[in-house]
Amino acid sequence: MTGLRLEHVTKKFKEFTAVNDVSFEVKDGEFVVVLGASGSGKSTILRLIAGLEVQTSGHVYIGDMEVDDYEPRDRNIAMVFQSYALYPHLTAYNNIAFALRVRRVPRDDDPDRYRRRTREEIDERVRHAAELLGITDTLEKKPAALSGGQRQRVALARAIVRDPEAFLLDEPLSNLDAKIRSSARIELKRLHDQLKQTFVFVTHDQSEAMTLADRLVIVDHGRLLQYDTPERVLRDPASQFVASFVGSPDMVFLEGAVESRAGAASFVLGPVRIPVRGETAPGPVTLGIRPWDVSIGPENAPGGIPAVVRGVERLGSSDQLYLELTAPGAAPAPGVSVRAMGRAYENQVGDSVSVSIDPDHALFFDKDGARVHSLETAPPA
Amino acid sequence: MADLRDQTLGFRLRREWPAYIYLIPTTVVLLFLNAYPVAYTVYISMTDFGTGGKGSLLYYHYIGLANYVTALTTNSSVTLTLLENSLFWAAGSVALFLAMGLGLATVMNQELRGRAVYRTLILLPWAMPAFITILVWSNMWQYDYGIINELLATVGIRPIDWLGHADSAWAALFITNLWLSFPFYTVVFLATMQAIPKDLYEAASIDGAGSFSRFGRITLPYLAPTIVFVGLMGFLFTFNNFYPIYLITSGGPGISTQIFITESYNQAFGSVGASPHLSTAALYSVLDFVIIVAITVVVVWRTDLTRNWLK
Amino acid sequence: MRRRRGRRWVRLLRAAASHAVLILAVVFALFPIYFIVITSFSTIPIASITAQVLIPKVGQLTFASYRAALYTQSPAFTALLENSLIFAGSAAAIGMGLAAFTGFALSKFNFPGRRAFVYFILIISLFPSFLLIIPYYFMFAKLDLIDTYPGLIIPYSAGAVVFSGILVKNYMDSIPDDIEEAALIDGLSRTGAFFRVLIPLCTPVLGLAAFLAFVGPYTDYALAHVFITSSAKETLALNLYAIATGDTGEQNYGVVTAFALVMSLPIVAFYIAFQRYIIGGLTLGGVRG
Ligand SMILES: Nc1ncnc2c1ncn2[C@@H]1O[C@H](COP(=O)(O)OP(=O)(O)OP(=O)(O)O)[C@@H](O)[C@H]1O
Ligand SMILES: [Mg+2]
Repeated sequence: MTGLRLEHVTKKFKEFTAVNDVSFEVKDGEFVVVLGASGSGKSTILRLIAGLEVQTSGHVYIGDMEVDDYEPRDRNIAMVFQSYALYPHLTAYNNIAFALRVRRVPRDDDPDRYRRRTREEIDERVRHAAELLGITDTLEKKPAALSGGQRQRVALARAIVRDPEAFLLDEPLSNLDAKIRSSARIELKRLHDQLKQTFVFVTHDQSEAMTLADRLVIVDHGRLLQYDTPERVLRDPASQFVASFVGSPDMVFLEGAVESRAGAASFVLGPVRIPVRGETAPGPVTLGIRPWDVSIGPENAPGGIPAVVRGVERLGSSDQLYLELTAPGAAPAPGVSVRAMGRAYENQVGDSVSVSIDPDHALFFDKDGARVHSLETAPPA
Repeated sequence: MADLRDQTLGFRLRREWPAYIYLIPTTVVLLFLNAYPVAYTVYISMTDFGTGGKGSLLYYHYIGLANYVTALTTNSSVTLTLLENSLFWAAGSVALFLAMGLGLATVMNQELRGRAVYRTLILLPWAMPAFITILVWSNMWQYDYGIINELLATVGIRPIDWLGHADSAWAALFITNLWLSFPFYTVVFLATMQAIPKDLYEAASIDGAGSFSRFGRITLPYLAPTIVFVGLMGFLFTFNNFYPIYLITSGGPGISTQIFITESYNQAFGSVGASPHLSTAALYSVLDFVIIVAITVVVVWRTDLTRNWLK
Repeated sequence: MRRRRGRRWVRLLRAAASHAVLILAVVFALFPIYFIVITSFSTIPIASITAQVLIPKVGQLTFASYRAALYTQSPAFTALLENSLIFAGSAAAIGMGLAAFTGFALSKFNFPGRRAFVYFILIISLFPSFLLIIPYYFMFAKLDLIDTYPGLIIPYSAGAVVFSGILVKNYMDSIPDDIEEAALIDGLSRTGAFFRVLIPLCTPVLGLAAFLAFVGPYTDYALAHVFITSSAKETLALNLYAIATGDTGEQNYGVVTAFALVMSLPIVAFYIAFQRYIIGGLTLGGVRG
């Protein structure tokens, strides 16, 4: 059990760059989630760590050891594939025991020499792993006779039965149907808490990422966009892309401009001005705000932006309202432009309301999607 | 980024070298049992091995392209006959295979009682070892005691000397060959037809297409790659299909059904007692090979058939 | 109503025509086989065969030909069978091994020169195998291998190597790479993964490769005719040729067909049992569907 480190790792397939200068470090025992859209290079990153691919440039470390020239089997990493990749010709038991039979362990009397594990040792470990995952009853079945959830557990058991340096998991939950997926998520987290091992987990599902991660690696087009805890990624996203990718419900974006008047900067949207704190150069910007930082008041409330409720989505504890800004010049085009959290019974479709935005939680992005200022320079929220 | 560790030939070799180890046995076998013998055959075809008069089995000489010149000039009528026969044999057989295969597959590709039974019964000729059934067929075609003539006699037809005339000898060969191969073609075409999505036909029916038009507009285009593929395979196989001709007509009467491969074998091993004409045999082998390669290259070039194997 | 009735007529007519066509095809397909079977239960000299044998009388059916073919022939059927099994069995085992290695290298590696290698084996395999017999004869004569077991086993093993190599390759292509990768992660080398994971997964195609490598030598006449000179190494196929083409018209046709049937039975059974699978393999993935 050790940490991992990628140092300026780039992977090209012919002319196509799948992973572009990615560096990050996973601490011992940490649960890191690599989050990105399909084709963004997540699997390639895992495969580079496992040694199934070799990087074009840069270095991979497992613990303190540079493993660039190590074969997969010498890296001692466990991996759960998206397809599970169970051996179809072996029973679940033999799938789990496979690595134990293949790998040798140091001898007790002479650690420089290696021996095979005994049948009893193997059996004990397999049963222990199976118990941990609740698949004791299915050990004699072959993969074809297992349900999706059972296969996923067998794949996990195959990984945990060993003593790997780290676990790599490539979208292991994506083949499960929605119902078991959320419980599998919780179990996985519990498993990590029990094992206290290093996990690198790949997914394109942001809510899965948010639930599981100690830290998140957000990638797009092979580039690492942000590496931080879920809370900070949510609150302090590095770019408009990250902001739009994480968090649920989605962030609201409003196009406007920053104007500086008498030393105080403000975001201008038609007749509405929202104070901006910190250093912000004047010019066109995009304001980003989470729906839960948008509040709804009665029509014509002071400082509010006039708006009309156009739709209500009932979510339960609070509902999401779709609002159209009606102040002249506030909305570039008619239509829903803002979402807020509210109460469906208080706001009906067609109601005129006013909307106000919490300036402390507003984020600003330039036209390339880069943050105009980070929260560090803004006053604490 | 200067460090392109995975893009160099050295890297690829370091990662892929086991492949060469795995290919060693096959490569050795192919070099020793294919490449070398082929080269040796080409060499023999340029000597007077067995044709240079007395002692030419012990002492033979390199004579360059002289055999080829002879084959194309003084002996051109024989060479031409062999070429015509080989092409006629292969192309004629394949045409019959495809016609009967497509026809039967079309008939079987409908809801029919007992379709599975028909399928299995039709497959039987294919499942019998060809060498054995050809031997039986060769007996069946005999003039004086063959069962075919006996059957014809029961309906009052006088016995036909099947193997005594060129036309009837070809007929006997084609019928035998068709019997050997139509099961395979039928089943392959049937399998391909059954893989055609049903909604294509439904859509065409709604558009008002009749069954002939559906066959032409959907079935045939869908089958086209299969037809080309099995057609080419069948052609290559038949062009060099030795046993039917060797066992049934032996190329006769005269050389009217002789093809390159049987003539080559006969020149080398055929006539007991007579000295084997090895250079002539080699010559026909080489001509056969050149023609086959040329045809294959042209067809493969124009149809992209090997994509599966090169992937 | 009238239209529907019309359609029904057309449909019935069509079904009748279809059955007629298929019955004709079945008669064509089965006639020679029926002829073989029926004569094998009789004891008629070839020259006196008439159409009457096709409608046997129950009392005339006899196993005498089988007894003769199996027990009173010389060389003995079992000796012939043993030779055939030695030749074809060894060729099947070696051929299957070669095919497995070749298929693995071509399917799971992307080595420099791969394309050239595939072209090389495809072109070389176009040279008609019957015509290789001529150079083989001289090569093997020089090596003193004529009329020896290795002398035939070696060329037989090579007979199907290209075809079955590509067969295995196509099959391995259909095994997802991540199965092999899982084995690498579990601690195997690529060779280990080949033997412990890919080979077990390839048993069906390896069985087919072995079968195809068996059938060729088992029924080979052309090469054996040239290479085998002593009756101690005579095979089933050679003997069948001899008794079938005695050319005197005196030989007992029942014995010929009984011999032929016994010899083909295992092959036929295998073909019929695995027909779909074999046909898929024989079209080398070049056929969709
Ligand atoms: N062996 C390869 N050869 C060529 N291109 C590749 C190869 N492997 C991956 N790629 C390309 O690299 C890019 C990243 O692939 P990768 O599998 O890492 O994406 P991913 O983020 O895991 O996507 P997904 O969520 O769909 O699994 C893709 O565009 C893919 O087409
Ligand atoms: Mg992926």
